[in-house]
Amino acid sequence: MEFLNQNSLYIVLIITVICWFGIFGYLLSLDKKIKKLEEKINKE
Amino acid sequence: MNKIFNINSALTIFIKDFRSELRTRYALNALIMFVITTLAIILFAVANETPSIEISAGILWIVIFFSAMSGMARTFVSEEERGTVMTLHLIAKPSTVFFGKLLFNLILLFLMNIFTVVLYLILIPSFIIKSYDIFLLTIFLGTIGLSAASTIIAAIIAKSNTKGTLYPVLSFPILLPLLMIVIKSTKSALEGIEIAKAMGDFQVMIAYFVVITAVSYLLFDYVWKD
Amino acid sequence: MVFKIILGIGLTLVIIAGIALPMVSNPSSFFELPVVPGLEDKARIIFFHVPTAWVCVIAFITSLIYGIQYLRTKEILYDIKSVTAAGLGFLFCILATVTGAIWSKFTWGAFWNWDPRQTSIFVLLLIYGAYFALRSSIEVEEKRASLSAVYSIIAGLTVPFFIFIIPRIVSSLHPDPIINPQGKIHMNPTMLVIFLSSLTGFTAVYYWMFNLRVRFSKLLYQQQMKEQE
Repeated sequence: MEFLNQNSLYIVLIITVICWFGIFGYLLSLDKKIKKLEEKINKE
Repeated sequence: MNKIFNINSALTIFIKDFRSELRTRYALNALIMFVITTLAIILFAVANETPSIEISAGILWIVIFFSAMSGMARTFVSEEERGTVMTLHLIAKPSTVFFGKLLFNLILLFLMNIFTVVLYLILIPSFIIKSYDIFLLTIFLGTIGLSAASTIIAAIIAKSNTKGTLYPVLSFPILLPLLMIVIKSTKSALEGIEIAKAMGDFQVMIAYFVVITAVSYLLFDYVWKD
Repeated sequence: MVFKIILGIGLTLVIIAGIALPMVSNPSSFFELPVVPGLEDKARIIFFHVPTAWVCVIAFITSLIYGIQYLRTKEILYDIKSVTAAGLGFLFCILATVTGAIWSKFTWGAFWNWDPRQTSIFVLLLIYGAYFALRSSIEVEEKRASLSAVYSIIAGLTVPFFIFIIPRIVSSLHPDPIINPQGKIHMNPTMLVIFLSSLTGFTAVYYWMFNLRVRFSKLLYQQQMKEQE
């Protein structure tokens, strides 16, 4: 904890990385969903 | 497609607009009252203070900008409302209609600006012009730039649902470069700078007018035709 | 799929390197960044703020090009692409404005002080706002597409004027953009590598988002067409 208090830069780093992973995961899941939809609509 | 525009037909459209304006006096009356009310508000707000050069130059162009916005908005809307669009489609090429309307807006804006400037000079004592040549050129070039940009935006606005309210919103980003340079050069007219030093500003204004008119001429077809 | 994995790992590395690499006055190894005098840790914003602004401009240009394409071909697909690009551009524009404003608070002391850079991004925001206001006020699809294309072309043409006009009125405090007026890139190699990979990563993310949204809007459009039949 003391280490983080002295190096607040690392807190910024952790938050940014979490945000980026969130965005990345969201985009991946969107990609999959749209692929499924495309296949479904093209089959009809 | 033949795009050569006919100066006589453009003049005819201009004369038609001018006559109908003289008959109804919609734009003229509204504009004159608009200018007077805004100036009155400014005078009440300023009261006994003497506004600095920057502020008085800015206020002049605020008055001109907003009165132009309220006056030009109906350029094409009136045609839509009266149902005369189809007739215009039949008798004239799009470019001809555009130049006819541009000419009308130009004259209207000139009359309005002369009125505004004269009133402004009389009512605001601290607004003393030191170099008249810069000031007159600024008003002239500012007016033609303003009317060129507002004509094409008016044509766009006439096809949308919310006709009046959207007009200043759409025009502002387009007019901002012109307004910035015009306010700057009005300021230098008040400071009494030599005309040679203001040449660069005038070049920008002329370039603005030429670019906007050329682009409007090319794009007007897409706006005008349904 | 490979590209997505590379993008995911690459941008993670950029974030870690951009934030965590120590800043020393005399960088000796590749894993040290030089200290920027007067900015210190605040200089790290360059790895994130500049790419956002860059994407914002790229998106504006894409939207403009697809708008012109629409006017030439009257193909509704181009309009879909044009709106999508404009929407993403608006998003990145807001991000660039907000990050810039926060940085400006800690460097210049105020969130907003009408620096030329701030003025130009403000104008870009205004143009995007007006563009969407115009679109929402027209119901007929073809009319909406062609009018908004015309508007974005006119708006795009006024942008170069700012480049001439703004320097005549005020001078900027903004640190040099990617390339300074002498046309040289002056960055330490480590910084340059991180910066350029961040730029590529952001552009790739933008392209990915763009692609997803275009595919989705296309499906939506097809569905609407089917329902009408």
